[in-house]
Amino acid sequence: MELYMTAEDEAFRDEVRAFLRENLNEDVIRRSNTGMHPPNEDDRRWWNRMLAEKGWAASHWPAEYGGTGWSHVQHHIFELECRLAGAPELRWQGLRLIGPVLYTFGSEAQKSRYLPPILKGEEMWAQGFSEPGAGSDLASLKTSAVIDGDDYIINGQKLWTTEGQYCEQGFFLVRTENSDRPQKGISMIIIDMKSPGVTVRQIPMINGEGSTCEVFLDNVRVPRENLIGEPGSAWVYAKFLLSNERTSSADIHKARADLERIRNIAAHELKDGKPLLGDAGFRRKLAALRIEVDALEWSVLRVMHEAPSRHPISACASVLKIRGSSLQQKLTELMVEALGQRSLRVYRRDEAYAQPDGNPLWPAYTPGVTADLMYLRSCTIYGGAMEVQKNIIAKLAFGF
Amino acid sequence: MNFSLTDEQRMLVESAERYGRDKYTFEERRHIGSNPEGFSRQHWNQFAEMGWLALAIPESCGGLGGTATDIAMLMEPLGSALIIEPVVDTAILAASLIGASPDPAQREQWLGRIATGELIVALAHQEQASRNEYDFQVRTSATRTADGWSLSGQKHRVFHGAAASVLLVSAHLEGTADLGLFIVDSHSAGLSSEHYELIDGSRGADIRLNGVQVPATALLMNGGLTEQALEQALDQAILAGCSAAIGSMEAVMAMTADYLKTRVQYGKPLAQFQALQHRMAEMFVETDQSRAILHSALAAVESTDAGGRQAAISAAKYQISKAAYFVASQGIQLHGGIGTTEEYAVGHHYKMAVMFDQRFGDASFHLDRSSLGIDQLDQPLKGALYA
Repeated sequence: MELYMTAEDEAFRDEVRAFLRENLNEDVIRRSNTGMHPPNEDDRRWWNRMLAEKGWAASHWPAEYGGTGWSHVQHHIFELECRLAGAPELRWQGLRLIGPVLYTFGSEAQKSRYLPPILKGEEMWAQGFSEPGAGSDLASLKTSAVIDGDDYIINGQKLWTTEGQYCEQGFFLVRTENSDRPQKGISMIIIDMKSPGVTVRQIPMINGEGSTCEVFLDNVRVPRENLIGEPGSAWVYAKFLLSNERTSSADIHKARADLERIRNIAAHELKDGKPLLGDAGFRRKLAALRIEVDALEWSVLRVMHEAPSRHPISACASVLKIRGSSLQQKLTELMVEALGQRSLRVYRRDEAYAQPDGNPLWPAYTPGVTADLMYLRSCTIYGGAMEVQKNIIAKLAFGF
Repeated sequence: MNFSLTDEQRMLVESAERYGRDKYTFEERRHIGSNPEGFSRQHWNQFAEMGWLALAIPESCGGLGGTATDIAMLMEPLGSALIIEPVVDTAILAASLIGASPDPAQREQWLGRIATGELIVALAHQEQASRNEYDFQVRTSATRTADGWSLSGQKHRVFHGAAASVLLVSAHLEGTADLGLFIVDSHSAGLSSEHYELIDGSRGADIRLNGVQVPATALLMNGGLTEQALEQALDQAILAGCSAAIGSMEAVMAMTADYLKTRVQYGKPLAQFQALQHRMAEMFVETDQSRAILHSALAAVESTDAGGRQAAISAAKYQISKAAYFVASQGIQLHGGIGTTEEYAVGHHYKMAVMFDQRFGDASFHLDRSSLGIDQLDQPLKGALYA
């Protein structure tokens, strides 16, 4: 066991820090740190391009498709430093979800058509999995794809398509046949979001914005070559896609940044005329969350490195999702507690992104905190709800 | 960074697992717990033969020079087996303290005899007013004599004090502000002790020192070195205890899962009830996070930053104390009534969780200790890679 960073890792961290210092400006950092969802679209496209020029946009992809060949620890350092520096968060769906599916299962034509624009941040991807009648129980989805000559005709409705309003392309789960096993007839297909018959409607959310969408598919004509891999095999690809993401569900880098943000707020907010951070009760709450973050970070590293364990790694990955998502919520709850009644004010996006005006009644750290709290109620639901993750652990770890 | 075990570590773990399975069965454990000595000398000798008592001792003193990680590897299966013997108290805590003595002759003399299993050494440090082992305010005093020291005072809650033939006694050196640590034969004239049973079956002692005469060489260390050595030795004991507690949690999960699969109620095995499945999943989460925070602490042990090391070890103690309580208590709950009986192992794991929480500072103590420096904003909170 070697549980430390090498000198090479330290040098790498310095290189990342220097790049971030040189390339991020104050306005971008302020907007990234406010916790608005969706984040600023221009900023994240710009940052994706910047990273692509540096060769760091799809760091975890194989080198032949534009990846970096970094070690697990280097990936971890990179993500953490980006988050701590206030870099825009790259959109997940293209780089993290569909990209790896395409280079693993896609046709040569699909790889050369779709991977380069993902890498450069030129095309954003929508994920069309859930439906009104198929949430956690994804296998019961109904959207149909019927062959018509060289095309599929697609009909149905998708729900919870994150930031679909910005996306050029989408990867959708559709039923290509009715099978006795509900998972078996499902295929994964690429839909150009500008196709006739595709309607994207933002859903107003409790965070005050439309961070997720409904997508209506009304006789949408899609070329058969857009089907990914084999018909009826989407379940395999979807599982692959999720297992690729087994450590990012912990959102450990945001958790670290949130700890710093809470400390900063509590150092400036006063209780009985003294900084809240000095209050014994508050400190204990913060200390307890910090310990949870430390534990989570090491469990992420353990899963990344496939550390030897008597339990299946997939069960440990579900732990990351369970603990990571509940920790996101607890951290923002403590952040709101630190802000006190200031947290009750609603900030619209333009106010939240504006230059701070120096008004001491509403310090610069105020906007966005509560919007993040509201947004994060969803994080124990999306990507496999907390309760589903517990089912998975019971099955994998204990054979129930 | 890598998490793989070396061949030696794998052999160590396998031998300890085998020992727990074949020789230190729960029946045997119950039998040992009813022994008035509160431990088994026969098993102790076998631990020595296996090399376990030498693991934490430097090679220069007849030991194996194992790392904190090696020790953690050994302790997990021993925790699963609920061993009562003072491996942590003697072979880690006391060995670490003696190893901190600046006198090589003292180190060699005593540590070699711990490694062979000849000596059981207990720390006699706490007193009436102290809440845990990290309290360094002692009233026991050491007065200089012509050829050594005279010790007087009362030591309270000496764990394994009944079994120990040698005691490490902390005392305030008269006429100075220094804390000294003395090595004292438990049969010395002027030393009397009262023994009692503890909830895990081990025996504690209250010890009265009434002008106990010891030679000058009995003073192993004094001054700042004593506090530093105590702090470090207690931290090492915590790491070992943390790993044993994780072993206990794993054992509770395994026996509870087996029970839920076999026990039928309302016409189906309990394992099919989702409320119970989810409880097991929560136990799994806590155990997994305990293992992760132990790695954080093991990484910090290698670090030169003393504050960071202490914070990481306290963080581990806090998480694992809470988790051990949770897992063992839910283990009892999921077993139903049988889990509360003396003849069933799960209740004894709960006792171990209580012992573990109380030893070496409880969860509240370590939560505060972990948070030192949390308000120094110029110092970012260090994570895994910046320990």
